Amino acid sequence: MFSVKPLKPTFKSYLPPVQTDLKKSPQLTIRKLEAKLLPGEIVVNEANFVRKCIGTESSQDDLWGKLICTNFKVSFITHNSLPQQNFKYVHRLLGEHDVPLACVEQVVTVNDAKGKQKVLGSNKKLKFNPTELILYCKDFRILRFRFDQAGPESAKKVCLAIAHYSQPADPQLLFGFEYAGSRYYNSSGERVNGVDPGGGHQTPMFDRPSDWDREIKRTGASEWRVCSINEGYLVSPSLPECFVVPASLADQDLKQYACSFTGQRIPLWCWSHPNGSALVRMSSISDPQQQRKLDQRISSAITKSHPQRSDVLKSDLDKQLPNIQEVQAALAKLRQVCVIEPFEESEEKWLSSLESSRWMDYVRAFLRHAVEIVYMLEGKHTSVILLEEEDRDLSCVVSCLVQLMLDPHCRSLLGFQGLVQREWVMAGHRFLDRCNHLRKNDKEESPLFLLFLDCVWQLLNQYPSAFEFTETYLTVLSDSVWIPVFSTFLFNCPKQRAEHSRDFARSKSIPLGQEQVLRFPPVWDWSQQFSPKDQTLFNNPLYVGKSATYVQNGAVKTFKRTKQKSYSSTLRGLPLALRNGQLSDLDTLPRRNSLVLRLPTAAEPQGLLLPQLLPSHLTLWRLYFLRWVPEARIPRGGPVTAFHKLSLLVDEIHTLQSHLRHYSTSNSSFTLTSTPSGLPPPAPSPAPSPLPPGPGLALSPPSNTPHRPQSLSRSPPDHHQQRQGRMYFRAPLSTPAGPGASIPTSSSCPAPDYLSSSFPFSPVGNLCRRGLLGTPLSKLLSGARIWLSTETLANETL
Amino acid sequence: MEKSGSVDSLGSKQSSSRQPSVDSLSSSSTSRSDRSSQAKPPSAISSDSVSVSDSPLSPEQLRSNIRNKPVPKVFRDSHKDEPQLLTKETVQDMAKDVTYICPFIGALRGTLTVTNYRLFFKCMDRDAGTVLDIPLGVLSRVEKIGAATSRGEVSYGIICKDIRNLRFVHKQPEDTLKKSIFENLMKYAFPVSNGLPLFACEYDQVFPENGWKVYDALAEYKRQGLPNESWRISKVNDHYELCDTYPSTLVVPVTIPDEELKRVSAFRAKGRIPVLSWIHPESQATITRCSQPMVGVNGKRSKEDEKLLQAIMDANAQSHKLFIFDVRPSVNAAANKMKGGGYESEDAYQNAELVFLDIHNLHVMRESLRKLKEVVYPNIDEAHWLSNLESTHWLEHIKSILAGALRIADKVESGKTSVVVHCSDGWDRTAQLTSLAMLMLDAHYRTIRGFQVLLEKEWLSFGHRFQLRIGHGDKNHTDADRSPVFLQFIDCVWQMTRQFPAAFEFNEYFLITILDHLYSCLFGTFMCNSEQQRLKEELPKKTVSLWSLINSQLEEFSNPLYVNYSSHVLFPVVSMRHLELWVGYYIRWNPRMRPQEPLHQRYKELLAKRAELQKRVEELQREVANRAASSSERAGSPTRSITPVQTFV
Repeated sequence: MFSVKPLKPTFKSYLPPVQTDLKKSPQLTIRKLEAKLLPGEIVVNEANFVRKCIGTESSQDDLWGKLICTNFKVSFITHNSLPQQNFKYVHRLLGEHDVPLACVEQVVTVNDAKGKQKVLGSNKKLKFNPTELILYCKDFRILRFRFDQAGPESAKKVCLAIAHYSQPADPQLLFGFEYAGSRYYNSSGERVNGVDPGGGHQTPMFDRPSDWDREIKRTGASEWRVCSINEGYLVSPSLPECFVVPASLADQDLKQYACSFTGQRIPLWCWSHPNGSALVRMSSISDPQQQRKLDQRISSAITKSHPQRSDVLKSDLDKQLPNIQEVQAALAKLRQVCVIEPFEESEEKWLSSLESSRWMDYVRAFLRHAVEIVYMLEGKHTSVILLEEEDRDLSCVVSCLVQLMLDPHCRSLLGFQGLVQREWVMAGHRFLDRCNHLRKNDKEESPLFLLFLDCVWQLLNQYPSAFEFTETYLTVLSDSVWIPVFSTFLFNCPKQRAEHSRDFARSKSIPLGQEQVLRFPPVWDWSQQFSPKDQTLFNNPLYVGKSATYVQNGAVKTFKRTKQKSYSSTLRGLPLALRNGQLSDLDTLPRRNSLVLRLPTAAEPQGLLLPQLLPSHLTLWRLYFLRWVPEARIPRGGPVTAFHKLSLLVDEIHTLQSHLRHYSTSNSSFTLTSTPSGLPPPAPSPAPSPLPPGPGLALSPPSNTPHRPQSLSRSPPDHHQQRQGRMYFRAPLSTPAGPGASIPTSSSCPAPDYLSSSFPFSPVGNLCRRGLLGTPLSKLLSGARIWLSTETLANETL
Repeated sequence: MEKSGSVDSLGSKQSSSRQPSVDSLSSSSTSRSDRSSQAKPPSAISSDSVSVSDSPLSPEQLRSNIRNKPVPKVFRDSHKDEPQLLTKETVQDMAKDVTYICPFIGALRGTLTVTNYRLFFKCMDRDAGTVLDIPLGVLSRVEKIGAATSRGEVSYGIICKDIRNLRFVHKQPEDTLKKSIFENLMKYAFPVSNGLPLFACEYDQVFPENGWKVYDALAEYKRQGLPNESWRISKVNDHYELCDTYPSTLVVPVTIPDEELKRVSAFRAKGRIPVLSWIHPESQATITRCSQPMVGVNGKRSKEDEKLLQAIMDANAQSHKLFIFDVRPSVNAAANKMKGGGYESEDAYQNAELVFLDIHNLHVMRESLRKLKEVVYPNIDEAHWLSNLESTHWLEHIKSILAGALRIADKVESGKTSVVVHCSDGWDRTAQLTSLAMLMLDAHYRTIRGFQVLLEKEWLSFGHRFQLRIGHGDKNHTDADRSPVFLQFIDCVWQMTRQFPAAFEFNEYFLITILDHLYSCLFGTFMCNSEQQRLKEELPKKTVSLWSLINSQLEEFSNPLYVNYSSHVLFPVVSMRHLELWVGYYIRWNPRMRPQEPLHQRYKELLAKRAELQKRVEELQREVANRAASSSERAGSPTRSITPVQTFV
C-alpha cells in the first residue's frame, strides 16, 4: 500500500499555491477546511491530510482533506470534488462525505505495515498507529480513509473519537438533544421550542385526541372512541396518551384490565374496514387467571363494535412470523453478500446466498401474513386481533401492511406518514433499542422498520401507480433512521420522549414553555433535510390518486370502473394463493364494492392491493441494497430512466393545466360558449386529506363530472408555485407564439447522463471494500493486459 | 417495472378465455424425454394467446382493439365452444367427454377439437370458461401413458415446447378400427413426419403490410454506409455456391477478390468465411463473423484466410490489432481439432488476439432449459426457489452470453478495434453474440423494425438452423439438434430491456409474440434452415411473414417509454444481481401469475391526457385571439362572463 503512494496529490501539492497536476489549480484560493456545524454540534477531534479512498483500484481519484469527528457525524472536508459526478443530492444536515455517527456500525482500524487490524469500541485502546480507517455503516456503505500523510497521533485520536462517540452511553448524549436544545436558544419568538409548531408538514402526529377523531371519522368506525386514560402515561408506560378503544368499554374497565396485559397495554384499535370489521392489536395477557375472562371481554367488546356483530379472529404473530433476532440475522447475511464479499466471488452463488440470508423469505412471510388478514377483514367481514407478546414489533409491520393493502389513503404521502406515526411511533415501537443507538444490547437490535419498508417497496414494485411516493422516498426514509435528530426514531415510546426531553431541558436549564417538553423535529418535516426541489424526488409521476383517466381504444374514459375491476381481479388471485379448498365463496368477493359504497371519503379507484406472493415475483430492493456497489451500477439505465420520462410527461401536463388556469383567470371577461366537445372540464377531486394534489390527482374523470365553477375559488392562484413543479425532472419549455404561453415538450428530451440505477445516490467513494478491484466492465475485460494494450494502441494511432 | 403476468388474468371476467392450461405429465415421463421443451405459447395468435401474453394492455382491450382492425381472423373469439378457424383451417376431429387434467385446477371435462392448425379444448362442466387453444406446432411430443384402465380410459401426455405439459384422459373408441382423436392429433401435430404440409404453407391471411419486405440486405448495408472504400459487396455467393448456409449478399474487404474468398471457404467449416456483420459509423471498427478454421491436429494454415483477416484489420485504421472471439470454452475449441476444426493460432495470425468466451454448447443449454422447466412448471418450490433456479444454471448461461456480447461491444466501441466472432459452425452462439453486440451498439436495432432486420439478417439470412433447432412438425423430439439457442437470445434481449426500460421501442409482448410464433408454424418466418432453403421453398410466396402481423398493429408492440437516443451505446451490467428470471414468459401458465399493474397503460393514459390538454390550450389560445379581435371591433360591448371556462384542474 505504501508503495503505491499517490503521484498526484502529495503532502506538498495539497498546500495550495503550486498545483500543476490539479487541473483547476489556478483559481484555487487558500480556504481553510472547516467543518460545517449544526446548532449544538461541536468538533471533538480532527486529523489533517487524510485521504479518502474513492476507487478501490488505484489511489488516482482519492480525495485529500480533513477528517473530523463531531458529536454528530464523521465529516470529511475537501477542496477536491468527486470525479464524474455532476449531480448532487444536497442534504441539509450532512455534507457530501459525511456520515452520522449513529449510522456507523463498525469502526475498524488497520495498520498495514504491522499487519494489524482492530475493531474499535467505546473506550477501547489502540496500541498501534492506524494507517487506515474503515467505517462500516448501517446503511450498507463502507468508507475508507488513509492516514499515510496524517500525523500518527491525530489519526489515532480521531479514530478513537469516532469509536467512542458513535456509542453514546446515554440517550441524552444523542445529538438530537443538543440540536433541539440549541435550536431553542436560537429560535425567534415565533417558533415554539425552536420548531415550527406545524413543523412545516401536515402529517398528523396522533398525539392529540383530535387526530384520532379524524381517523375514526375517516374510516367510519362509529363504534369506537378515543380514550385518554393514559394521560400522563399513568396507566401504561409504552402506550400513547390517547388511543382508540371499543365504545362499549368504559374507562373504568379499561384501567382495570390494563394491569393484566403485558406492559399494561390495553388493546389498540388500528383501523376499520368500511364493512365494519376492525383491526386491533393487543399484547399478551400476563395474568393467567385473567386470561380467559379478559379474552372474552375484549372479544365481545370488539364484536359489539362490529355492525354485523361478527366474530373476532386472533392472529398470533409470534407463532407465525420470524422474531426480531431472525430478522436481524437475515440482514447481516444480506449485508455480507451485498456489500462485504468481493463482487465477483459472490456472483457465482448469488442466488443461493440470497436465499440463505432468508431476507426475502421474511419479506414474503410478512406480506403473506398481511394478505391473510386482509382476506379475513375484507372477505370474511371478521374483525382481527393481532396478538404479540409485547405488541411493539411484529404488530407494527403487519398492521401497516394490512392498512396499505386495504386503504388507498395510506398510499398517499401524508397517509403513509400518518400510518407510520400511528402504528410505529405512537404505538411504541422501540426505535431506540431496535436501532441500537446506544449499543447497549445487540440482541435488541433489529431492522424491522427496514423490513417493513422493503415490504412496501414490493407493493410499490408490483403496483407502480398505487403510491404517491417513490422508492427514493422509501430509501431516504430508511436512511433518516440513522440521523439522530428526529423525534420519530429516537425513542422507544412517547413517554420516554417526554421524560428525556424534560430531563434534558431541566439539566441544561432550557426554559420550556407550557408544554414542558423539548420539541424535536419529526422526520416528516422534510425541509429539515432537503430543499423543496429535492423533495420532489419523492413524487411518483404515475400515482393515480383519487380519480384519474385512462385510455381505452384511444378514447379517454374515467378510471374508476375499470380500475375497480382490475384490482378486484387481483382479489380473485387470492383463493388460489390460499387455496386449500376451503375458501369457496371467494369468487363472489370481487363484486362487492363495499369500500366505495360505504366509505365515500376513502373511496378511491383502487381499493384493494394484493401483492403477488410467489417467490419468483418478489425481488431484491436493488436501489436500497445495491446503491453503493459500483459494480452493480447501471450507467444511464435502471428504473430511473423510465421515471425520468414519466416525470417529463407529467410535468408537461401540469404546465398545460396551469396554462388553462391562466386563461381562465385572465380571460374571465369573455364568455366562452362552447367548450370543445368531449373535453372534460377538469374538476377538483374531493380530496379527503388536505394534501396537495398529486400528479395523478389532478387528472379528473372527463365526461361525467359536472362543471363546478365554484371550485375555482379553491384553486391556488399562484402560478409561480405551479411553475416550481411537482416533478423533479422538468420538461424543457419551448415558447411558441402567443403571449405567455410556453408549451413544454418532452418527447425528444434525452435522460441526463448522470442517471444510473443508483440515482440519486452514488457509489463513488461510498463503497470501498479492501483489496477489491475495479468496475464490472474493467473486470469483465479482464484480459486486462490485452485491454490496456489495445487502449494504448488506439491512443497511439490517434 | 412493469412485470407482466401473462396468463390470462385470473381476474378478468369469467368469459375471458382462461388458459389454465397446462398440466403436467407425470413428472417421470417429463424428465425422461422432454429434452427439447421450449418455452412458447403458440397462443399468441389466438385470442387467448393474447390474454396469455404479458401484454401491457388488458386482454379485453386488446381483443376489442383487434376487432376493430382488419386483421381479424387470426384472433379468435374464445367465448364460443368451438374454435374460430383461421383461413384454410379445418376441423380434423372432435371428441366429447375428454378429461383435461389441469395441474392447477384439477380434472376438467370437455370437448377436444383438433384442426390442422390447433388443439382446442373447451371445458364443459365446472369452470366452464376454461379453454385451451394451442397451435399444434407447439407440441413436442404426444404419447399414450400406461395401458387402458378397466373403464377403457386411456391417458395421453403432451409435452409442449413452451414450458408446459398437458395431460388428457379419454375413452378409447369401441370400434377398434376407428382412430382415436389422439392418433389424429399426432398426425397433424407432426405433419413433417407424416408427409403433410406445415400449416404455414396453407394459411393465407392478407395483412396490410407484407412482412417479407422488411429486410433488404442491400438497404441495410447501405444504412451502415456500405459499400465504402474498404468494404465491397460481393456477389460470389449469389447462387449459394460458395456457402449454402450464407446469404447471397456478402460484405468483404475490397482488397480480397472473389477467387480468394473461394479458397478461404475451403479453410472454414461449412465454407462460412469471415464476412462483415456491422461497421461502426465513426471508428470503422467492424464485427465480422465466420465459422471455425479447419486447423485440425496438424495445425493446417491457409494463406488466404490469414490475408483476409489481415485485410479486415487493415480496413480499420484506428487499430493495429484484431480480436478473434472464439465463443467456445477453450477446451471445446481444442477438442474440435480432433474433428478437423480448431481455432486460429497466434503464429499464423500476427496482430490478432484470440479470446475464448467460454459459452457452452447447445446440448448444455438444452439440458439447462429442461431443468428450468422442472423448476418452474407446474409449481414452484417456494422454500427453495432461488437455489433451485441457481441449480439450473439458466441465468448463468444468460450471463455468459451477455458478458461475451458486452466484451465484443466494448472492444468495438471503446477499443475501436475490429473483431471476428466464431464458434464451431458460426450459426448458433455466433449469431447470439453478434446480434446482441449489435443491439448494444446500434440504436436502430432497438426499434421494432430494426429488430426485425436484426433477426432477418443475423439469424435468418446467416443460416441459424431454425428447422433443426426447433423441429417444426417433426415428431423426433429427442433429436440432439434441438436447442433453445434463439430463446436464449430473446431472453438476453429481455434482460437488456429490464436494465434500460426507455431504450427499446418494443415491449415485452413483442418478444413473447416472437417466441410464440417461433413454434406455432403459422408464419413462414422461422421455417427452414437457411436463406437458400427458404428461397427454394418459395416461402415468401407460400407463407405469411410474422412481421406482417406485427407491423399491422405496431401499437400493441410498442413501448411508450421509448426515447430514441440515436447514438446511445448500451452497456448492460452483466451480473447476477441484475439478471432475473423472465417470469412473464417462463411462469406464465401458472394461474397465480397474474398480470401486474401495467405501467405502460398508465403511461398511455397520461399521454392521452396531455394531448387533450394541449388541444384545449390551443383552442383557448385561438379563442382568445378571436375574441380579442372581435371585441376590439365592437368595442364597448363587453359581456361579463357568466360562465367562465371551467379550467380548474
